[in-house]
Amino acid sequence: MTHGKDLALAGLAIAAFLLSLAIGADGAGLPGSADAARTILFEVRLPRAILGFLVGAALGLAGAVLQGYLRNPLAEPGILGISGGAALGAVIAIHTGIAGVAAAALPFAGLVGAGIATLLLVMLAGAGSSSVTLILAGVAISSLSGALTSLALNLAANPFAVSEMLYWLMGSLSDRSLVHVWIAAPAILLGIVFLLSTATALDALTLGEDAAQNLGVDPGRLRWQVVGGTALAVGAATAVTGAISFVGLVVPHVLRPWLGNEPGRLLVPSLFGGAALVLLADVGLRLISPLGELRLGVLTALVGAPFFLWLVLRLRRDLAP
Amino acid sequence: MRDVSAWITGLAALALFGAGAGSLAPETGVEAVAATMTGARAPIAPPRRIVSLNLCVDQVLLDLVPRERIAGLSFLATDPSMSVLHREARGIPAVSGSAEEVLNLDPDVIFAGEWTTPATVDLLRRLGRNVVIVPMASNMAGIEEMVKVIAMASGEAERGAAMIAEFKERLAAIRVETERPGPRPTAVAMQVNSIASGPGSLVDDILTTAGFDNLAGRVARGPTGRVSLETLVATPPDVIVLANAASNYRTILADNLRHPAFRDLATTRPAVHIPMAEWLCGTPRIIDAVARLASARQRLAATGTLGRDAGSFK
Repeated sequence: MTHGKDLALAGLAIAAFLLSLAIGADGAGLPGSADAARTILFEVRLPRAILGFLVGAALGLAGAVLQGYLRNPLAEPGILGISGGAALGAVIAIHTGIAGVAAAALPFAGLVGAGIATLLLVMLAGAGSSSVTLILAGVAISSLSGALTSLALNLAANPFAVSEMLYWLMGSLSDRSLVHVWIAAPAILLGIVFLLSTATALDALTLGEDAAQNLGVDPGRLRWQVVGGTALAVGAATAVTGAISFVGLVVPHVLRPWLGNEPGRLLVPSLFGGAALVLLADVGLRLISPLGELRLGVLTALVGAPFFLWLVLRLRRDLAP
Repeated sequence: MRDVSAWITGLAALALFGAGAGSLAPETGVEAVAATMTGARAPIAPPRRIVSLNLCVDQVLLDLVPRERIAGLSFLATDPSMSVLHREARGIPAVSGSAEEVLNLDPDVIFAGEWTTPATVDLLRRLGRNVVIVPMASNMAGIEEMVKVIAMASGEAERGAAMIAEFKERLAAIRVETERPGPRPTAVAMQVNSIASGPGSLVDDILTTAGFDNLAGRVARGPTGRVSLETLVATPPDVIVLANAASNYRTILADNLRHPAFRDLATTRPAVHIPMAEWLCGTPRIIDAVARLASARQRLAATGTLGRDAGSFK
């Protein structure tokens, strides 16, 4: 029964993937000669769809894991500054020229940035901390990484600093190629494996840290799985597409009423849900703004921010005496 | 008595300059005159300490005014990737755009572009400085007007007129060739971030003047319109114009130039490479870029290929 729901979400993600292949900058279908159509399908749309799937999966899953691990409904890679840290790492790698040295350097730099941000966050706020502490720590990390990113872009005397800042803040799948898929996919997939392996521990954690330890959960190991998995998945994803916000927040919350509150149960559905959301947002983007002036993060924030507000209102109501 | 007549001549020159600028941008023209008239330094003698806050004005000044009268240029003037005259600009104080730096240079005329921060311009004017807003050229006709404004305000009207005459002469020579009836090959000038300047942009006028039909006009929107990679692959232009190799840029926004599908296109089709510095600014020097594109078009028409191009592709 529950597997049926997983399958339904996987189906949705696959449908979104196919839709992403079918719809291009000039609407549905493939324009041009057979040769051009082949190039467009395999070199332009396929990498975009694969990355959309992977990035969405990484963000949705990381959101579900962070919410479970920190036992906090507001946890999300974007809001907590993890994506910002990854963007900072990627910007430094690109502008120092490190990214040009080896293909793996860019996702690795994103991973290091995301890893540092996640570690800082876990150290500052810790598991089971209040929403306020967590969000404060997240805001601090977010704005610090944003400021450093902008500083790095300015120090590099980059004539495109302002547009590039927008890219890193808002994310984009446009003009991504198979090169990006090859450099980011291994780290994202490895991160996803790490994150999925936390399911039972996260369920145990709902009983409290002591009870979880009695059930055989090693808190040190779990922390490394969460930090490492998030850094790998979100870091590599952000290094090639910029920070796409709100996906990790919205997806687990949408799925929770349907699938129940066990955090472990939410992981696989959040993975597919995240993939479907990013792919659909990207298809929507191509329909609204075919030439790509509008960034992907704008659309996910348009969906995510009102949702976040609603969440804040509901939390306030729940907390009210 | 002599003083009075000098004053009148000065005012006449001002009115003339004001009219010139006014015909382009009414409000800036009027303001420029007002600022000059209230300015502490009399503008009758040609200014001896000229400061420019704009890269494109820098280029014109270096060609127009004796070097010793240039007190400061924008900090971009010495950047080889943006400034054609970067060698000539070396040794002249660089201004990054703050009012304080400008005041330290004690200029008697300050040139600013239309996009120079209004706050800086306002402050300088309130402090009684003579600030001239130069309209940026987005086509060949605009270049003449731009040179005229700069030449007038820097007291080099004659040299300015000579520069314009030479520019128009070379332009006319190119147009004789390119305006002959015949097929106009399509071209797209592909830049970082998939920007392919459309109608209304300087790049569009460069391509059109050189005898090309700017494909971006059909598939992109507005002067900074972007062209998607899909569109480019589906309806490839006859010629691709590139500013720099993707490896020249350390920015994720240049990934459109690194994309395998784009690289295939740029290597299988004729491509012309013109360094960014040569077509960034609408100054008389743009004629070199136009001439190279025009000769590329001629080669294309004669042989069907561009042969071994053209330009310094690094």
